[in-house]
Amino acid sequence: MTQKQKLSENPYVPKPYMVLQNTRETFDTFTLTVGMKVNHEPGQFVQVSMPGFGESPISICSYSEEFVKLNIREVGNVTKALSRLKKNDKILIRGPYGSGYPMELLKGNSIVIIGGGCGVAPLRSIIEYVEKHRDDYKDIFLFLGYRSPDDIIFKKEMEMWKNKYNIKLTVDKNAHGTLCYNAKEGFITDALNQSDLNNKNKVVFVCGPPVMMRHTIDSLKEKGFHDNQIFISAERLMYCAIGVCCHCMIRGKFTCIDGPVFRYDQIEKFRND
Amino acid sequence: MRTLQIKKKRLFEFLDSLKQDYELFAPVKSDLVKFERIAEVNDIYLEKNSYFPLKEYFFRKNEVLFNFTGTKITVPDVEQPKRVFFGIRRCDLNAIRHQDMVFEKINDPYYMALRKESYLLGYHCNEAPSEFCFCGSLDLADYYDLMFYDRGETILVETGSEKGEFLIKKYGKFFDETSTIITKAEKVIPGAERLKVRDISSLYHHKDWKKGVDICLSCAACTNLCPTCYCFEIHDEVSTKDTSSGNRKRNWSSCQVLDFTRVAGEHVFRKDREERFKHRIYHQLDYFRQKNGIDLCVGCGRCIEGCPTRIDFVDIINGMK
Repeated sequence: MTQKQKLSENPYVPKPYMVLQNTRETFDTFTLTVGMKVNHEPGQFVQVSMPGFGESPISICSYSEEFVKLNIREVGNVTKALSRLKKNDKILIRGPYGSGYPMELLKGNSIVIIGGGCGVAPLRSIIEYVEKHRDDYKDIFLFLGYRSPDDIIFKKEMEMWKNKYNIKLTVDKNAHGTLCYNAKEGFITDALNQSDLNNKNKVVFVCGPPVMMRHTIDSLKEKGFHDNQIFISAERLMYCAIGVCCHCMIRGKFTCIDGPVFRYDQIEKFRND
Repeated sequence: MRTLQIKKKRLFEFLDSLKQDYELFAPVKSDLVKFERIAEVNDIYLEKNSYFPLKEYFFRKNEVLFNFTGTKITVPDVEQPKRVFFGIRRCDLNAIRHQDMVFEKINDPYYMALRKESYLLGYHCNEAPSEFCFCGSLDLADYYDLMFYDRGETILVETGSEKGEFLIKKYGKFFDETSTIITKAEKVIPGAERLKVRDISSLYHHKDWKKGVDICLSCAACTNLCPTCYCFEIHDEVSTKDTSSGNRKRNWSSCQVLDFTRVAGEHVFRKDREERFKHRIYHQLDYFRQKNGIDLCVGCGRCIEGCPTRIDFVDIINGMK
């Protein structure tokens, strides 16, 4: 006996959407704008398919009901294949998944955003969210760190952000004579340590490579921040994105459904590297 | 739930009748004891539990999730085979219960289809069938369509579901009424309470883990033999004739290998064997309980029996002071 299945009820089957734009950000990163009209929280992610290559979890870096933007680094087979997509191509996506940043609960606070490299992508969704709800939040501080000036993503957005927000930008190594956006050579933690940031009425959102997140959290604690003021966005290998395959599990918590955003006091006991 | 009885000599006649209407699977002894499709009911072997668990009959090793041509997706029709499994031990019945919980939660169409027309006929262990058993240390539930209790000349049969009642009605001529009641105490399997520590949540950083796990080969025998382990990975396979078409497959995976947490860019989150070993044990005895209120582990002992270096995590935990 067999049973006909409805595609829409199958949790593993992605749906087709249209690529509206593919913008090159750096030599190895690009941003896809996809005609996917969906309500989502900032910090959530989608599973993007390239049939024949596989599926990758990609965080949504925009906040709009009209489209989703996906900032992607070409680092594996799927992402390399995705980089070849052009306007009007079809793209297969399931989601959005995961629990994002609890923005509603954090009203009234100043927002500190600390991003490293690709980790800036999910944080960009917070900036867009806050811009749409500007009266609900106080000041915005951006600490953005990149490997080199050539790795800076969202250059177009930076032009806007630098006029509106308090930005500190660092590059690990400066290969060029001059640096844009008043960037300084060094790690993001140097910029953080040198700043006069205090923990008063602030929440911090951190996303980046594991080693960067670890040192950033140490610096924040030295500045007096409490674990429950810090939100991290975790990255893990994942296949199902619906809390079954277990690859993304961090000490019993699923990155795909309990995260990817975790308040640090809820996973502080767990080594996050 | 009610209790009936069947004469021992009529049991095989009943199974033979079942075989006419359903695909019958039961333990068979060849080099190892394993569940196989039964052609001849006399082949059924009930002295020991099967070396391999039943899980591959529901959560298959290799499942085609869908086929694709370019971006067009078609899902294969899902089979719903009519199968009866006889001779399932209490541990393995509970393992199926735990996997049911996992896959029902997400309405997994592949698993649900394979479970739908499958009947679970249990066989009670009058004593622990292996020195590695520890089901008595865990809170196992009654979870079966029919359960068979060997009482010498007669076998008591307990119904546990509507599916079970259906079978009793359909094959009513083999079963007789009885006033005997099977008590809760009689369902506890003697000699299977090896695991003495029930809450391991405070033992994560105990030094004895390293000592016990140093001889782990990361071979993944434990997770493959485990009746409850349900981790999987998903990969695409393309046709060699036309690389734009192929299928997306789900395969079993193991938390004991490095690749389990390897992300693009070559970062591995659980690099040490000790961390990976502990992840398995904590998923079984701590994490799953946090989410679902019961332990994932059912105490069958297969991961210990099948370990090539015979790492006994029950001994490791019991020895922690």
